[in-house]
Amino acid sequence: MSDPAATRRAPASHYMLAVAFGAVATIAVALVVGATNPDDFWVAAGIGALCAAYPAFSLGARIFVTNHTVTVDARGEESVELTWMRQAAAGAFLDVLLTTIILAIVMMLWKLDVDALVVLLVLIGLSAADAGLRYLAIRRRALR
Amino acid sequence: MKNNLAQRRLDRDWTQADLAQSLGVSRQTVISIERGRFDPSLPLAFLIAKTFGCTIEDVFTAE
Repeated sequence: MSDPAATRRAPASHYMLAVAFGAVATIAVALVVGATNPDDFWVAAGIGALCAAYPAFSLGARIFVTNHTVTVDARGEESVELTWMRQAAAGAFLDVLLTTIILAIVMMLWKLDVDALVVLLVLIGLSAADAGLRYLAIRRRALR
Repeated sequence: MKNNLAQRRLDRDWTQADLAQSLGVSRQTVISIERGRFDPSLPLAFLIAKTFGCTIEDVFTAE
């Protein structure tokens, strides 16, 4: 038996479609972000483009390329990765919950006034980074 | 659970990727099962036994 994924490639046109999709989506997001900040259009559009580029090109690759290059595990839900992901998500949830409780207590005691949007963005970043790092740590420990 | 999956795989001269492909799971899953760090679900255990033409008890034993 051999691994067919090792030699799988998408047609060249699909790579071009993925890049085109990523570019169009990035520009669209940049224009929307820029339009909502007309005083600093180019700065806002640039930041929007920077934020949108990675997910947009990834989405393009997912739509046009990975169907040809990634082998789908027939029993993916029984693979160990799902267990790792659940462990990481559970750990990250507890971390975020604990962090939120501690921050709330600190803000109450010191009467700090923080913008809710900033807090929400920090929580999103923290939970994503926490879950990602936990997954990598669990994976590394399991395969060592 | 302990298991003799690695030995059975080697007896057939299969790589971990070969077995993973045959079972429809990732190679990391096969590695984890062989090292005893991941207990497969019952359907997957049945499939492993069927792949090697034996019973689940022939492959897996309680520690």
